[in-house]
Amino acid sequence: MHFPFKKLGLALTFSPTGFALLKETKRLKELFNSEIVLIHSGKKDDESEQKIGEMIDNSGLAKQSTEIIWVQGNPANEILKVTKSKNVDLLIAGALEKEPVLKYYLGSVARKIMREASSSVLIIESPSEAAAGFKKFCVSTDYSQDSESVIKLSYQFALMENAHEFIIVRDIYTPGLSSAAMESGSTSNAEEVISIFQKEEEEKLNMFVRELNLKGIPVIVKCLYGREGWAERDFVQNNNIDIFAVNGKTKKFYFFDRLFPNELEFSIKHLPSNLLILR
Amino acid sequence: MQLTSENIVTFLLSISLMLLSAKLIGELFNKIGQPAVVGEIIAGIILGPTVFGSLLPHTYNWLFPQNNGVKVALDGIVNLAVIMLLLVSGLEVDLSVVVKEGKTAFLTGVMGIIIPFALGFTAAYFFPHLLGIKDDNLKLAFALFIGIALSISALPVIVKTLMDLGIFKTEIGYIIVAAAMFNDIVGWLIFSIILSMIGANNGHTFNQTLILLIAFTLFVLLILRKIINKIIPWIQKNLNFPGGVLNFILILGFLSAAFTEYIGIHAIFGSFIMGIAIGDSVHIKERTKEIIQQFITNIFAPLFFVSIGLTVNFITNFNFLIVAVILIFAFFGKVIGCGIGARFAGLNKNDSLAVGFGMNSRGAMEIILGILAFQYGLIHANVFVALVIMALVTSVSSAPFMKYFLKVKENLLNILSPNLVLFTNFTDKNEVIKELVNQVSKNLKLNSDQIYREVIERENSIPTGIANYLAIPHARVDISRPAIAIAINKKGIDFEASDGTPSRIIFLLLTPKSKNELQLKLLVEIVNKFKDKQKVEQLLLSSNTTDFISMFKNS
Repeated sequence: MHFPFKKLGLALTFSPTGFALLKETKRLKELFNSEIVLIHSGKKDDESEQKIGEMIDNSGLAKQSTEIIWVQGNPANEILKVTKSKNVDLLIAGALEKEPVLKYYLGSVARKIMREASSSVLIIESPSEAAAGFKKFCVSTDYSQDSESVIKLSYQFALMENAHEFIIVRDIYTPGLSSAAMESGSTSNAEEVISIFQKEEEEKLNMFVRELNLKGIPVIVKCLYGREGWAERDFVQNNNIDIFAVNGKTKKFYFFDRLFPNELEFSIKHLPSNLLILR
Repeated sequence: MQLTSENIVTFLLSISLMLLSAKLIGELFNKIGQPAVVGEIIAGIILGPTVFGSLLPHTYNWLFPQNNGVKVALDGIVNLAVIMLLLVSGLEVDLSVVVKEGKTAFLTGVMGIIIPFALGFTAAYFFPHLLGIKDDNLKLAFALFIGIALSISALPVIVKTLMDLGIFKTEIGYIIVAAAMFNDIVGWLIFSIILSMIGANNGHTFNQTLILLIAFTLFVLLILRKIINKIIPWIQKNLNFPGGVLNFILILGFLSAAFTEYIGIHAIFGSFIMGIAIGDSVHIKERTKEIIQQFITNIFAPLFFVSIGLTVNFITNFNFLIVAVILIFAFFGKVIGCGIGARFAGLNKNDSLAVGFGMNSRGAMEIILGILAFQYGLIHANVFVALVIMALVTSVSSAPFMKYFLKVKENLLNILSPNLVLFTNFTDKNEVIKELVNQVSKNLKLNSDQIYREVIERENSIPTGIANYLAIPHARVDISRPAIAIAINKKGIDFEASDGTPSRIIFLLLTPKSKNELQLKLLVEIVNKFKDKQKVEQLLLSSNTTDFISMFKNS
């Protein structure tokens, strides 16, 4: 994980949100002072070239410093290939969840990118031409060294954005808990056990944050009980988080993960907010 | 057939007596730290032909008549109880946990089925009379049954054991739970196939039943599961809680049970699979599961377990040889099978054995399996009795064996070593850290310079003074197990504690680089021990290592 990202890649489409996404990318380019590569899946003809040219001009990007790569074939595979060959650090794409006609096809491109990109990925749920920036950050942790790096990196990002809230969440889940509580007789119940587990976990989480020595924006910690990956997704959605940062480095996705979603797959399937997958 | 007024009186009296005895003896067993189910079965044995029936046969036959409407009504309740028990067992199975734990859970689960199954099947197929076969024409089904009876695991007992041992939320805990879930699904699937081999198939051929079984399972787990996940939030929002969702769960469970019974597989399989599909929903609240558990565990489960004791005479049907063979095969098969699986998946020897013994609990699931096989005429009463005994012994013995193999638990008090408690008189924090590092390094044969550098680097980034005279310089270093050294310093040293107090008790904590969470857990444990300033001040009065450790343990 490099930060600030040196090279941004944008999966550029002619969809209704394509231009807003380009404006968001331009803002991030300026924030990180990075290079930019636009990847467009489609045939390179005069009309398309003119269209992209206009988009670049209107966005305020300098044409000469903006590299455009045209790819044809399976969009997701081609975008992933360019990301790798061009050493892109952060690949940006739209979720397009709100465009019914394109939803299935393009939605599946975004999901493949999220699962398989070699670089970090930022999926912007509802890009805006105003590109106001991210003010409310949420990061999930499992205490691993990778997740430590994700928090540190996201925190630097939050500082650059002048964010006003930085929340670290930790999911805990104990399958079979209610039956085990019943096996213990009537003296304890699942909810008591959950609250004990949550208290223990919050103490650890506070210690974890103390160890990270984050200075600038006050950090809020939340210990959530629920299916791993789902509870945090739910929290992000219900708390108007601007950007949810997760560790994508240790996770490999298999067929069964999609059939029986767990952890990050919940957020990939149903975006809770803008999603930053750090690798 | 209609129940007469006298029948109704007898029926109500018998279930009251069953519930009363189950509750009394079940609670007693809970008090002595054993599963209530053991007490409930013993209550049944006392109420049944074994004790009560032998002593007062007339009263026994009046209370539990063998061939009138009361018997039919009791059987109906017991059937309902088994269906609901399997429904709640399914609710607790979480396929995403199985998928997440991946290779380890899969290998442990698969080996935990293959080895005991192979042992049981071979013995029963080649020596069927040794294991008390009832009908020689059903040799294959009998051998398959014995195989599967040795392979099954009981998730609730396993989870309870993990909770008692405090390893519910650890890596081993997750592996055991995931493997047990996998084991349950495969076990019940195979058992259903066996039942369809011997049972009434409602006019379907065996192949038809098999195809229907597979199609039904896939439909429920892949398609219906997603639909249920969409319906539950609507129910929780628009109908009364918990009534709406409870009704929904029971209706689906019963419908599914009815369907599998219709296609020639036992009803319990339908309720189990539907339980899995419902329990998989991320919207199901823990509270909902708990309410269902409460009403099934307190009413229906005791009736079922007491009815086990009413079914057979445990003394006349006790056959030492069968009990011994089943017990030995059950232990060897499961412990070795799961142990090998866990070892293949990368766990060390002790952890693998702990996983093996953890998975060895058979609990209620074995008893349900046994009673069904007995009712279908597949096994003789003495095999059933042996299975009940095996279920009880494996459940009760699981925790002590696991505890033995997990004896090196990484908690604060186990890590403390008396020869690493020093009484010092330093004035500088670097000096005290150096001395503590030297002592640990000498003790564990480590490179003290390297460790000292890492501890100081950590100390310089954020000072580790806490409050109440405590400081915890620490680092994650190249060691395999955590280590602690303590200095009780005569004078306070400034570690920039939050309360401004100079630190007098300095804990050096070293943890393995790969175990981030362990470091946090130990730091929290130490800090929690120092919350009460008065107790810490008393601790400072200790003049020797023994006093300090004993006071620290009791603080």
